[in-house]
Amino acid sequence: MVQDDFYKFRGADKYVLDDELAEIVNVSMALEMPLLLKGEPGTGKTMLAYAIAESLGMPLIILNVKSSMKLVDALYQYDTLTRLNDSRFSDSIRDVSNIEEYIKMGKIGQAFVSDTRTVLLIDEIDKADTDFQDDMLDVLDQMEFDIMEIDKTISAKNRPVIIITSNAKKDLSDPFLGRCNFHHIAFPEEDTMRKIIGVHFPDLGREIMDACIKTFYGLRKLEGIEKKPATRELINWIRALKADPDFKLSLLEQGNVPYLGVLYKKSPDMKVANEAIARNRE
Amino acid sequence: MFVSFFYNLRDRGIPVTPTSFLRLQRALRMGAIRSLNNFYVVARAVLVKSERYFDIYDQVFAYHFEGVELPDFEDIELSEMAKLLLDEWLKNPEGVAAALGVNEEDLKKLTPEELEQYFLDRIKDQTEAHHGGNKWIGTGGTSPVGHSGVHPGGMRVGGVSQNKSATKVALDRRYRDYSQEGPLTQSQMGEALKKLRRMVPAGPLDMVNVDKTIYQTMKNAGEIEIVFDRRLSDRLKIVLLIDNGGWSMDPYIPLVQTLFDYTRNQFKDLKTYFFHNTIYDRVWADAARYRNSELITDFIKRDPETRIVIVGDASMAPYELMNEGGSIYFGERSRKSSIENLQFLSQTFRHCVWLNPASRYEWSGTWTIDQIRKVFPMFELTLDGLDGAVSHLMSRN
Repeated sequence: MVQDDFYKFRGADKYVLDDELAEIVNVSMALEMPLLLKGEPGTGKTMLAYAIAESLGMPLIILNVKSSMKLVDALYQYDTLTRLNDSRFSDSIRDVSNIEEYIKMGKIGQAFVSDTRTVLLIDEIDKADTDFQDDMLDVLDQMEFDIMEIDKTISAKNRPVIIITSNAKKDLSDPFLGRCNFHHIAFPEEDTMRKIIGVHFPDLGREIMDACIKTFYGLRKLEGIEKKPATRELINWIRALKADPDFKLSLLEQGNVPYLGVLYKKSPDMKVANEAIARNRE
Repeated sequence: MFVSFFYNLRDRGIPVTPTSFLRLQRALRMGAIRSLNNFYVVARAVLVKSERYFDIYDQVFAYHFEGVELPDFEDIELSEMAKLLLDEWLKNPEGVAAALGVNEEDLKKLTPEELEQYFLDRIKDQTEAHHGGNKWIGTGGTSPVGHSGVHPGGMRVGGVSQNKSATKVALDRRYRDYSQEGPLTQSQMGEALKKLRRMVPAGPLDMVNVDKTIYQTMKNAGEIEIVFDRRLSDRLKIVLLIDNGGWSMDPYIPLVQTLFDYTRNQFKDLKTYFFHNTIYDRVWADAARYRNSELITDFIKRDPETRIVIVGDASMAPYELMNEGGSIYFGERSRKSSIENLQFLSQTFRHCVWLNPASRYEWSGTWTIDQIRKVFPMFELTLDGLDGAVSHLMSRN
């Protein structure tokens, strides 16, 4: 079974996958371990889960972690209010004496009870506190959890492919890390970026691509920027350039950078970039 | 298998657990690893859990599987020297070329990275007093520097390689940048300060309290009675006191500014005051320390649960801290010495911290830092320091 599954993942239509990452995804699937992805914002951590789901033809379930979240929210919810209401007005089709009818599965629960194997994306795990993280991995390790209200254990029918993302510069706790495979997605090199842009803009001319990428990597090298523009910004920026009928290639070659606001989202960064561009033009 | 690799990783300070090592063995047994390149990637994903260690991993891997020397401290020094030499080269190419006894034109053909490597090799040769003529640029293909060089150890160094071998990739040391701690950014401050909050009910009654609702409904004999509560929100009061005067704080101002920016949009109830060097009778609400001043003794009117955060380098002349009227400003004549004012603050408010932007290692040399540390718990203005400060501020007593 391992061999069949093993070389399945090759990257999806809109996602450019480097070989390293593909190997790590495959090994994590084979070892049945969650894969923890870290990296600069905009390096495609979240997109990877979409790509895996797409290329393996599995449904994707996304758990967006919030700071106030408790683990049980991710597992199941006991809808007490509806039950209270039903018990009072008794006009619903549900059986009030059967608590199970008022249990709704949370995202992790949904992944467990799904009839097919799913991809479970746990996005931005660093937002939650350490207890949440450790407890969640206990559940994911054992692939089962208890619903206290009805004293029933839910076991995973199919072990989901688990992708966890984290933006934090701080490390997660040791027990957590011990149970995951880890990969850090570095910012794409120019060649990889060309491929990424090519996937998103198949009809983009070579000269424009070269000029855009050159300008973009030039801007990324600026010192003193707090939030460097990432892939997402580059894609939006090229989209903006393409939409502008007045845009000419010569503008970029002269050192002008139109739509700087698409690339920089913070005003101090914008200032630094503006100054650098002005210097460049002279 | 690979047990020595495992111990090598551990010896170099990567926290590799035996469990993860066994997991790697399992991956091997399953046939999930087909080549050395594959092993490089998989072993890293399974064993190494932070990008900070990726660089060390690369070095250990190259050492273990190709016998490339692990750099010791001497080599680090050498590579620093090569960098310096490169800087020097950019300023004065003739001089450097002459000093090395090579043709300036030959060196000009190299990229900066190649140059650095070249210089490094030259320095190594010279420190080892080992002058092999076949290592000089331009004498043939056996030079280690340049596009199709052959290293004595059989390792490719630099250049464009068609079959990128794992050890080659490891030798690229792509993760070198991640192994260093960067400067504190606003988002990192946010990360560290996230725990600094106290949730209390506030605002409109808009949250259903299920337990109370059930209780009241039962009391009403089944007639539904829904009980609403106020939502929990953050009502922590914070007073931030910033030392913004004097040349001694100048290097830290961007750092303090970041903290200040962050706190300003994070907390609802935040008061910021400024002082110079240390606190006398007054602190100022304006950064120029000119218009809006407030008496320190008036702070007693505040909620004693207020968290006091003082940011300053705590470095000054001893008399400024200890003498009555020690202020360096003419016209600011305080009745109490500054240290008494600080003690007043720490006795009035249970939760105080002093954040020092200077590194912990510089603290012991300054007398006033020692004195202030007796009054306030002092933390470094780094991620770890902020963490410590926050947990101190949120502790129960």
